[in-house]
Amino acid sequence: MACAKEIWQTIGEGFVQEYYHQFDTTSRTTLGDLYSADACLTWEGAVFAGKKDISEKLASLPFKTIKHIITGQDFQPTLDSCIFIMVFGQLKVDDEQPMAFHQVFMLKSQPGTWVCTNDMFRLGIHNLSV
Amino acid sequence: MVDQPLWEQIGSSFVQHYYHLFDSDRSQLGTIYIDESCLTWEGQQFQGKKAIVGKLISLPFPKIVHSITVQDHQPTPDCNILSMVVGQLKVDDDPVMGFHQSFLLKNINSAWVCTNDMFRLAIHNFG
Repeated sequence: MACAKEIWQTIGEGFVQEYYHQFDTTSRTTLGDLYSADACLTWEGAVFAGKKDISEKLASLPFKTIKHIITGQDFQPTLDSCIFIMVFGQLKVDDEQPMAFHQVFMLKSQPGTWVCTNDMFRLGIHNLSV
Repeated sequence: MVDQPLWEQIGSSFVQHYYHLFDSDRSQLGTIYIDESCLTWEGQQFQGKKAIVGKLISLPFPKIVHSITVQDHQPTPDCNILSMVVGQLKVDDDPVMGFHQSFLLKNINSAWVCTNDMFRLAIHNFG
């Protein structure tokens, strides 16, 4: 018997799919539309505040091609009716070796849509012992 | 000396306290969760302080050491604090493994508690 998916999982999956689709297939100039005006991004430890700065950072990332492959994603509702998301997987930039990454998002409901208010991205930086 | 934003101070104190408790006595971790807290542990959901602590106490190792490599903290629009930790852990005599964990902290009655917690082992090689 199939379990009904929780609404926050459905919304979260939709956001994640849209985010990485835009990230991987566009020039990333419209990614800013997914964020709230006062959103906060921490990208490899550097902080970007506000939709404009976030947009500029993402559009200026110095690679020609990128592909994210999502291994797993976790979703939780929060007490303030937001959606907390953790994504992990691998990404491949240009002709470089694949690298692990993980990213956390917080989504908040606005009229007619859900926007990202918080975003934290880190490359996976530890070797896994074989 | 550069002043650390308040959310970074609170976030990093919490993270230090959490892993200290985890590595020394997991049964004490109940103090940081509330009845409405939610934990996702390697994809499995646990709802409420009792179930969460039950899961953490039942983890099948007597000894664990966490080593934090980096941590990021942000304030949220609802005045909570979002924290992300990357590090390594060593269980008993097993090889070291990478992990990442995210927390959402909320101020309730002047104490910061963890309302949301997500833990994953790092399963991809880097490079």
